[in-house]
Amino acid sequence: MNREESKIVNPDVCIRCATCMGICPVARVTASFPGPKQAGPGAERFRKPGDPSVDEWIHLCIGCRLCDTVCSSCVNVSEMNLLAKAKYRDEHGMPLRDWMFAHNSFVEKLAGRVPRLSNAVLRNPLVRRLLDRLLKIDLRRPLPVYEATTFRQWFRTHTGRGGKPIGYFYGCYANTHERDVAIAAVQVLEAAGYEVVIPRQECCGLPALGQGDVGEARRMAERNVPWLLAAVRSGLEIVFTSTSCGHMLKYEYSRFLEIPDADEVARHLHELFDYLRDLQGKGQFDVRFRSRPLRAAYFAPCHLRSLQIGFPSLDILRRIPELQIEMVDADCCGMGGLYGFKKEKAPIADAIGADLTKAVERLNVEMVLTECEGCRMQIQRLTGLRTLHPIQIVRDALEPGAGN
Amino acid sequence: MRYDLIVIGMGLSGLMSAKTAVDAGAKVLVVGKGTGGLCLFTSGIDVMGALPAGAAMGEALPRWIERHPDHPYAKMGWEGVREALEAFAELFPPPYGFAPEGEGNCLLPTGAGTTRPTYLVPATMRSACRLEKERTLLVGFQGFRDFYAEYAAAGLKCRGENLAIPEIAGRNNSATSLARLLEDLPFREQVAAEIVRRLRGETHVGFPALLGFRNPMEILKDLEDRTGTAIFEIPILPPSVPGMRIFRRFRQHLIARGATFLLGSPVSRILRNGPSCTAVEILHPPVTQVYEADRFVLATGRFMGGGLCADEETMREPLLGLPLSASLPREHWFERSFLEGREHAIHGVGVVTDGDLRPLDGAGRPYAANLWIAGTLLAHQRWIDEKSREGIEIATGYRAARKALAS
Amino acid sequence: MHLKTEVIIIGGGSTGTGIARDLALREIPSILLEKGDFTSGASGRNHGLLHSGARYVVSDREAARECITENRILKAIAPHCIEATGGFFVSLPEDSLYWRDQFIRSCMDVGIEAEPLQRDDVLQRDPAINPDLVAAVRVPDGAVDPFLLVIENARDAERNGAKCLTHVEVTELLAAGGRIRGVMARDTITGEPHDIEAPFVVNATGAWADHILKLAGLHLGLILSKGSMLITNRRLCRHVINRCRPPGDGDIIVPNETVSILGTTSVTIDDIGRIEVTPPEVSRLIEAASHLIPAVKTTRFIRAYAGVRPLFQFADAADGRAVSREFVLVDHGARDGLSGLITITGGKLITYRLMAEKVCDLLCGKMGVRVDCKTAVTPLPGAERPFDLSGRLKEFGDVPLQGRGETLCDCELIGRGEIEGILRQGRLRNLQDILHRTRLAKGTCQGAFCVYRLLGVLQEQGLTGGGEPHEILKGFLEERWKGVRPILGGLSLREEELIESIYRGLFNL
Repeated sequence: MNREESKIVNPDVCIRCATCMGICPVARVTASFPGPKQAGPGAERFRKPGDPSVDEWIHLCIGCRLCDTVCSSCVNVSEMNLLAKAKYRDEHGMPLRDWMFAHNSFVEKLAGRVPRLSNAVLRNPLVRRLLDRLLKIDLRRPLPVYEATTFRQWFRTHTGRGGKPIGYFYGCYANTHERDVAIAAVQVLEAAGYEVVIPRQECCGLPALGQGDVGEARRMAERNVPWLLAAVRSGLEIVFTSTSCGHMLKYEYSRFLEIPDADEVARHLHELFDYLRDLQGKGQFDVRFRSRPLRAAYFAPCHLRSLQIGFPSLDILRRIPELQIEMVDADCCGMGGLYGFKKEKAPIADAIGADLTKAVERLNVEMVLTECEGCRMQIQRLTGLRTLHPIQIVRDALEPGAGN
Repeated sequence: MRYDLIVIGMGLSGLMSAKTAVDAGAKVLVVGKGTGGLCLFTSGIDVMGALPAGAAMGEALPRWIERHPDHPYAKMGWEGVREALEAFAELFPPPYGFAPEGEGNCLLPTGAGTTRPTYLVPATMRSACRLEKERTLLVGFQGFRDFYAEYAAAGLKCRGENLAIPEIAGRNNSATSLARLLEDLPFREQVAAEIVRRLRGETHVGFPALLGFRNPMEILKDLEDRTGTAIFEIPILPPSVPGMRIFRRFRQHLIARGATFLLGSPVSRILRNGPSCTAVEILHPPVTQVYEADRFVLATGRFMGGGLCADEETMREPLLGLPLSASLPREHWFERSFLEGREHAIHGVGVVTDGDLRPLDGAGRPYAANLWIAGTLLAHQRWIDEKSREGIEIATGYRAARKALAS
Repeated sequence: MHLKTEVIIIGGGSTGTGIARDLALREIPSILLEKGDFTSGASGRNHGLLHSGARYVVSDREAARECITENRILKAIAPHCIEATGGFFVSLPEDSLYWRDQFIRSCMDVGIEAEPLQRDDVLQRDPAINPDLVAAVRVPDGAVDPFLLVIENARDAERNGAKCLTHVEVTELLAAGGRIRGVMARDTITGEPHDIEAPFVVNATGAWADHILKLAGLHLGLILSKGSMLITNRRLCRHVINRCRPPGDGDIIVPNETVSILGTTSVTIDDIGRIEVTPPEVSRLIEAASHLIPAVKTTRFIRAYAGVRPLFQFADAADGRAVSREFVLVDHGARDGLSGLITITGGKLITYRLMAEKVCDLLCGKMGVRVDCKTAVTPLPGAERPFDLSGRLKEFGDVPLQGRGETLCDCELIGRGEIEGILRQGRLRNLQDILHRTRLAKGTCQGAFCVYRLLGVLQEQGLTGGGEPHEILKGFLEERWKGVRPILGGLSLREEELIESIYRGLFNL
């Protein structure tokens, strides 16, 4: 992607008001990151085409996109930052760790085949110390555990109840590490009268994009789009439960990577709760919920905010009798996907996470709900509270045999 | 899904409209790109700074309104303004409350060393009313470039010093990073100790307005206890932490009451069917989302907010092309002097409405059956020089929502 | 104060400071008097263009030859004031290729390197250029920082024995018996009078030449021509872009640090007074430049400014010594019977050194002294500030800011350290003096945040003069307004709403 040709980069509209500085979670915790006003439109005036990248600090941007949401001038700060990160990586190369993160799905597939071994290796303190020392993967951060069977393996032997077909993009994290999230999604959809179909899919490519490896992200997108397009053209709407994957598929594929036909796919891609809320509005999601007398906190992940659909899970959760939901008063969890695993980013991830922790603790709850797997990891680690995807609570609250 | 009311605009007028509607039980969508001027230049809640000094608001404002019958305040009168202000203030119970100091405006110090009149004073700025110069010390932070205590002090004729806190000196600190640090006890202890070291008998200490986000009065009281002084916040260059506190409170309230809160979307079109608006279209490339409602409040602000735009020659309201109060030729938009003399004529131009805040078409009839206007997009107000922005936003946001729901 | 010297130079622009330096390097003492700050006149309000001379090569070969010679000299002696961008003379479909051929031949005859380029090659080197172009010619144009150039000349002059007094206005020319004796002058800020004796006075006041001559009852009859320019928010192109046809309005676009400068116009004016960029000029400039760079139509402008060129036309050679058709050197001894008074006017920024050399040669002749000019071969010392735009982005980072200090100007990335360095040089009498020496407030918001911060720093250092502190701020905002008001339309209205909201609204100025 050529910066000069990109429609994304337009620093002219920035009026330097500094509203974005008010919301940036990284600028709030460290003075090393100049903040979105400088990192994006400010720096663009200095980036001359053909000049080498020297803005190493751009990698401190956590990619939360909150700056975009509060900018009244429509500056695409986060995309400017992403382009700058990508250019920097193109010129300076990528540390091995980041290369591995960019090719995460490959690692996941291999390790997922031998879950017990993988878990044993990754739990081993010596291995962790080596990973910390050599690859700068933060020692203190628990690595996700591989499930004994993947979601796909579960789904292969699962029979639905029939009904209107709906596609589901499960996301590789749920597949290997949190299959219950995906299972819950299937169960809720079935209760709503749908037959879940899994179109051909692979990793969405966000880990690659996040590392600045636009080429790899593009390769993965170019594989996914034809498969998803075929599904869509066969009449399927497709829902997703991972807001990170969903944002990548729905927006970055067309806006940033400009993959042909990605916009057609985007029109038929829906965040699961957004879809359910819509159904609810049309009177087509009449499932009965049992009482769930719990106090839970809800945290809105950054990618959900970027989807610009509001917080649809709240609309569904509020239907569950006796379930008390409190919204966490924090904008970012500090994980930033793979960002939080990086040792050099640890102080930032920790500091943002500390604010989040205090916000959760103030609510006095038993569990925390959030759609993003990265947020779940961070919140679980920092608060010790049970963290779930809201769809899991919704599934738990379904009346046995509930269905349209 | 169909909403009872869609509010377009996430500034104070949009937020106030949305709050008024959700409190009345309506199903509300509020959508906007940006947080309005709220997070930029908010100090207190201005109602009419241009009144004579010492005048009681309840007496002087009605008289002012009589002399300005086209002004937005004339649509609801002082009573309407007061009611709206109360509805705003109820979102901010003690300790961080908003209240007038006495009967009228209060002069608060600013980061430029000037004073400005405001009406509802937040609790953190209260000790700044009736400043006594000889007994006041202003403090800034070395390494914080949006407030220079000596400069402000020179204008206010008191003393000012920038504190040297090793952890932050010599770095580019932002208002939000300092606000966050002040929420932390150890940092506050250092700050308090530094202040005590520099006091020369002053009884009042002025801070840049960044005493935390969530619990500013707790932080303020703690600093007061540690320093033995009365502490107040001073508004500074953007971003405005006090403004962010207001924004977050509104957001919290709206979400808790079930409003759909879409922060970050520009509305690309308002769809119409005959005399009524039917839906808003939000272009979030590559997808267009459409939201339907029975009623609409347009609270898109002025140029910064996108409520008005202009090319090289003409101004217009971009969403519906609503007629504006005047068609000024370009050379009359701005005066030759920036600060002296007449106010710039461009600021008085806006959307003309009836008493119920419905925009009027060229023939003076309501433009649509279900559309209301709130905020600084309205014509015949000059909030910059009147010092009336928040008052206009709150009063018209409140009224627009009530009128809309009553229809 | 009573002072005595050999030569008084009136005017602190490129010519005046060039003369002071030339004299100093010839070890001739001088005192330079400037009523404002250096670069108050046309030197501070030009296009920032280091001409290759190509622009004049078809109509005036001598002028072009002078230009290219000086172009090379300046690149050698002042590389830190110059960005050697190169320039293109672009032919659009409606431009005469016959004229282009003439142009290329003339360049070659005069010795200006002119490299014809094909369309695709041009677009590759500078994608911003109008894709309808037919061809272009590459010439050694460049961008120059006139402020730095002039100030470096002044600094070097002082280092070698000259004395430069800014904010000192000449109030009388003292003469006796047909000979100039010196001048009376007045400090414009303190009112302190100065009485300066010298046998030679050089009137290097550019467009103000007649104002000075009036003090002696003399008159040259300068024609004043206003030239307006627009500054874009972003740097639109990598090279200087010209139109390959007979020169006209708005046909040059010059890159300058982070921005581009579009220019220029030529409007005869009566009086120097308050010169403004007018709406028709703005439209004309945008229209003309957009033919060369289409993005001009939609780009954001941040400022407009105008400078005044002095043009001199004289009928016959007996009127004085015309050394070139480009600039004029008048010996008032020969012309008006007032010996010792010399006026140098006309010319362009790029030929300042040559003009100064001619003046100094004349003076030396009159003094009976034979010293060669050294300015062409002596580099201007000055902080080596390598031109490295993108490299400035390195300056954020995980290290405390040390010498750099906190960032005062977000748009142009100017740190407190740079400002403190400027302040340490001393002799800065007002805010504009400081602003002339830094890029602070020259970016997108034109000082919205950084001037407040600058004033904070000045207050801390006790430099605000003890008056009402916000008077300086107000003065700045009014000065800023002059440059901003002409371009208020479209995108820039939003910026202005922000500025007014902060300064009229929040700060209640």
